[in-house]
Amino acid sequence: MKDLVKYMAQALVDNPDDVDVSEVIGEQTSVIELRVAKEDLGKVIGKQGKTAKAMRTILSAASSKLHKRAVLEIIE
Amino acid sequence: MDRKTLDLEGKTIDEAIEKACKEFGLPRERLNIEIVSEGSSGFLGIIGSKKACIRASVMSFDLAMEGDRDNEHEQKIETQPVPQTASDPMEATVADDNGESLAVKAKEVLHGILQRMGLDFPVNIDETHDTINLRIEGDGSGLLIGKGGQTLDALQYIINKATNKNGKERKRIILDTEDYRMRREKTLIALAEKLGQKAKRTRKPVTVNPMNAHDRRIIHLALQDDKQLMTKSRGEGNYRKIIILPAKKN
Repeated sequence: MKDLVKYMAQALVDNPDDVDVSEVIGEQTSVIELRVAKEDLGKVIGKQGKTAKAMRTILSAASSKLHKRAVLEIIE
Repeated sequence: MDRKTLDLEGKTIDEAIEKACKEFGLPRERLNIEIVSEGSSGFLGIIGSKKACIRASVMSFDLAMEGDRDNEHEQKIETQPVPQTASDPMEATVADDNGESLAVKAKEVLHGILQRMGLDFPVNIDETHDTINLRIEGDGSGLLIGKGGQTLDALQYIINKATNKNGKERKRIILDTEDYRMRREKTLIALAEKLGQKAKRTRKPVTVNPMNAHDRRIIHLALQDDKQLMTKSRGEGNYRKIIILPAKKN
C-alpha cells in the first residue's frame, strides 16, 4: 500500500525525491501518511481535493482486495 | 453581459425562427428575435426569391444555465461560455507531435500503479491524434471499475495528471477495462430514454442524479434529437445534474 501511494505521489509532483510515505499499520485499518515538498502540496491535493480523492479511491480499491482498509493522510 | 447572437436564414421568417429555436435548443419565448430582412417568394417562387434573415439571441436571464448544452451544437459563436469542459483537465486536448512518448509514459504510469495494487494486468494502447486509449485486460472482477466506475475514473484522472504534468504537449487519456465505457454509455442512453418518456408522460421536468461531465454529455446527446424534450444542466461541480424538460408547444 505504501509503495502504491508513493508511486502515485511521485508521478504527480515536481520533486519526487521529497516524497515521503510512512505507514501506521493497524489490525484492520492502516493509516498512510504522505509528505511532499511544500510547493507540491497542491499537486497531490488538486482542485477541490480531486487528486487526493482519486488517490484515496485507488487506495480503497487496492486494500479491499486484501480485505483491509487504508486511510490516506496528507501531512502539511 | 455577454450575449450570444446568431444570424439565421430561412424561406420565411417562421422557418428562420424555428431554426433558431433548434440551434439554441430553446422555445421561441426564450429567444430575442430581430428581423433583419423579410423574405419574399419572388416571381412564381423561383425568380428573385429572397431569404428571410433573422438575428436571434438567448434572453439573458439564464445564459449561465445554457452553457453546458451549447457544447453540443456544432455551429458555435466565438465567445461562448464553456464552463464544464474548460475547467476539466481530462478534457484538455491539444495536438502534439510527441505523442509517442506520452503514450509510453501513460502506459508506464498505469503499469506502475497496477503492479502496486497487486493487479498486474496487460495493457493495450491505441492512439489517435489527440487521445490515448489504454485498455486494461482485466480479470472480470470489476475491482478496477468500482462503484459507478469511480475507481476507473480515479485511475484515469491520476494518469492524465501524471502524464500531462509538464507540458505544452497534452493528450487526453481514456482508460477502459472489460468494455466498461461502452456498457456505461448504453446504460446511460437507456436511462435517458426512460426518463425522457417519463417527462413526456407527466409533462413535468425530470431530474437525473448528479453526474460527471462525460456522463452528462452522453445524456444530452441521447436526447438532443427529440424535439419534444429539452435538456439542461444545473448545479455546480460534483453536484451538477441534468434536468429533462418537456418542450413547450408553440
